[in-house]
Amino acid sequence: MSLFGTTSGFGTSGTSMFGSTTTDNHNPMKDIEVTSSPDDSIGCLSFSPPTLPGNFLIAGSWANDVRCWEVQDSGQTIPKAQQMHTGPVLDVCWSDDGSKVFTASCDKTAKMWDLSSNQAIQIAQHDAPVKTIHWIKAPNYSCVMTGSWDKTLKFWDTRSSNPMMVLQLPERCYCADVIYPMAVVATAERGLIVYQLENQPSEFRRIESPLKHQHRCVAIFKDKQNKPTGFALGSIEGRVAIHYINPPNPAKDNFTFKCHRSNGTNTSAPQDIYAVNGIAFHPVHGTLATVGSDGRFSFWDKDARTKLKTSEQLDQPISACCFNHNGNIFAYASSYDWSKGHEFYNPQKKNYIFLRNAAEELKPRNKK
Amino acid sequence: MGRKKKKQLKPWCWYCNRDFDDEKILIQHQKAKHFKCHICHKKLYTGPGLAIHCMQVHKETIDAVPNAIPGRTDIELEIYGMEGIPEKDMDERRRLLEQKTQESQKKKQQDDSDEYDDDDSAASTSFQPQPVQPQQGYIPPMAQPGLPPVPGAPGMPPGIPPLMPGVPPLMPGMPPGMPPPVPRPGIPPMTQAQAVSAPGILNRPPAPTVTVPAPQPPVTKPLFPSAGQAQAAVQGPVGTDFKPLNSTPATTTEPPKPTFPAYTQSTASTTSTTNSTAAKPAASITSKPATLTTTSATSKLIHPDEDISLEERRAQLPKYQRNLPRPGQAPIGNPPVGPIGGMMPPQPGIPQQQGMRPPMPPHGQYGGHHQGMPGYLPGAMPPYGQGPPMVPPYQGGPPRPPMGMRPPVMSQGGRY
Repeated sequence: MSLFGTTSGFGTSGTSMFGSTTTDNHNPMKDIEVTSSPDDSIGCLSFSPPTLPGNFLIAGSWANDVRCWEVQDSGQTIPKAQQMHTGPVLDVCWSDDGSKVFTASCDKTAKMWDLSSNQAIQIAQHDAPVKTIHWIKAPNYSCVMTGSWDKTLKFWDTRSSNPMMVLQLPERCYCADVIYPMAVVATAERGLIVYQLENQPSEFRRIESPLKHQHRCVAIFKDKQNKPTGFALGSIEGRVAIHYINPPNPAKDNFTFKCHRSNGTNTSAPQDIYAVNGIAFHPVHGTLATVGSDGRFSFWDKDARTKLKTSEQLDQPISACCFNHNGNIFAYASSYDWSKGHEFYNPQKKNYIFLRNAAEELKPRNKK
Repeated sequence: MGRKKKKQLKPWCWYCNRDFDDEKILIQHQKAKHFKCHICHKKLYTGPGLAIHCMQVHKETIDAVPNAIPGRTDIELEIYGMEGIPEKDMDERRRLLEQKTQESQKKKQQDDSDEYDDDDSAASTSFQPQPVQPQQGYIPPMAQPGLPPVPGAPGMPPGIPPLMPGVPPLMPGMPPGMPPPVPRPGIPPMTQAQAVSAPGILNRPPAPTVTVPAPQPPVTKPLFPSAGQAQAAVQGPVGTDFKPLNSTPATTTEPPKPTFPAYTQSTASTTSTTNSTAAKPAASITSKPATLTTTSATSKLIHPDEDISLEERRAQLPKYQRNLPRPGQAPIGNPPVGPIGGMMPPQPGIPQQQGMRPPMPPHGQYGGHHQGMPGYLPGAMPPYGQGPPMVPPYQGGPPRPPMGMRPPVMSQGGRY
């Protein structure tokens, strides 16, 4: 099974052979395994933008490293380069031209990695770990946005050590997403703020959270005209809220749905509710994928309000996910996310990144 | 009628505050509206009965009673007709009715009962004003604030409260198939008039009748209209502090202030609607920063108890706190600052870092700037940069040594 629907056979060298025993459940979906995956949990994944020919995948891990692979059409993954921070890497993103990768770390800094020279320099500083990093490309400016547990959102011109702007957050930044001209930041204590980025970033609206539990991940979606129009917000309680910024009928258009829960059985066994670790929207179809602590991923159509697919259960939580620029590849990382605390952490357990052909499975369901 | 029992004069539905002539009719209403399974339409007898049916037959959990007003959605309360209604709600109802009868008495003293005085117009006695109030919180999300609240009221047959959060109760759990076909396939606004009289349909119809205007957002509607105006002022490239680099005319832009009172309002109350009807999860959360309630009778949240993110919890571990010593710099690797600092005892046992770390909780040195970070010179080789470009460096020893404790993990780390 190649990634791109061509007829080449499966079993290309992209698959690592060791560790695949018959009873092992680390890859029940039989997806392509990325070679030389990081040695500790993977916290973030990001594919290169369309400006770069081919597909390059970046992963940041709790081993303090950021790794880059080239993903070929055959499914083969070739490690290309690596950079280090002095603390776990919590978020990564690409510049719009594909020449730089930005990385955010627990070491309270963010760096800019120039791939052609393989040099990384620090471009940002916070007082606490930097949890989110995003590149903003506006018609009249470009900058890097970093969100941190120090309750600030900072905007950096990579040439200066002083931030262009500092915005205060109500609480620690937990997740964010940017699609120009909109940015969404979700914080601790269920804070939720939308920013507009035209001309310069400014707070647009604070939204009362549609979810009752801790925010964990957020992703902006676009309308048919390809403009950002709302976002999906995931919490630790196996639930995702779909929220439009200016809907014609908020009570009808906004909704939440449950996901990543163990099936309620007939007996009175309590249902296990897992955190939603990541949400990603398919760049072409507009459908979304969610990954959870339960070790499954699911695909959803938010307009038809239906589930498209749920995977088999992996033996580890799925900690991150992303689509490549044209939506043909869905990447997801299988590694421990700390959802059961320190006791269940096994440093010996291998961490995986899987790649799946996403062109067909995420097609929207036909509306009735 | 005229029973002076402890119950109210007329039977009323606890879930939606509607009045009925007869308890039998009330029960029929409850079975059809509140105890009806949204998947198979089977009518049950009580709320808990419905919950059990959904769990056993459909493997679905529901957290809220369908078509119930917020505050009255408890699925675990066993209410049948007028039985089981909590005492305080009974009292509240009695009080409301008394108020209403007082007002209608006052009104009867007017000359012409059809005329509304200024004083009385607020009373709006077309139907119970008080019971409406609990629902009034939901009006904004249904209709834009510009529209009169409960606009269907005068036209509606009495006894059908126009405000039912009809759609959200369908949300609990995206059924693996499709959401129930009844309301969803875009109830066209036209059919509302007929739908209202059909008892089987959820009471959503009245509201959309009002919001007929602009069912689709116009294509060119800007996402942030105020920003659009502000943007016109600055078009050239902008410097590092967002001031324009070119010498544009003196109109420096003020930061655009979003002025969308309508949207803000509707959003705020929308989310409150969604909050209450989007099925309060069985694991109730105490909104204290300290802990979550992760276990309840029917479900268990797979998450540590403290209400901090998984990453924050993990980052507290000494293992992830080690940082490279760097020349000319105070070590950055202090315990996470701020709210988390409170949870961390001052790191008694971090062997590696004793030499490095004067305790500096306030992080005064790092007020958000880098001071003299060597890494800032573009092109200079920062201390942690990797030298050999584009060589598969994973085998390389050089990057490894700083990760003092890591070798055991690294060496296993998949040689390929």
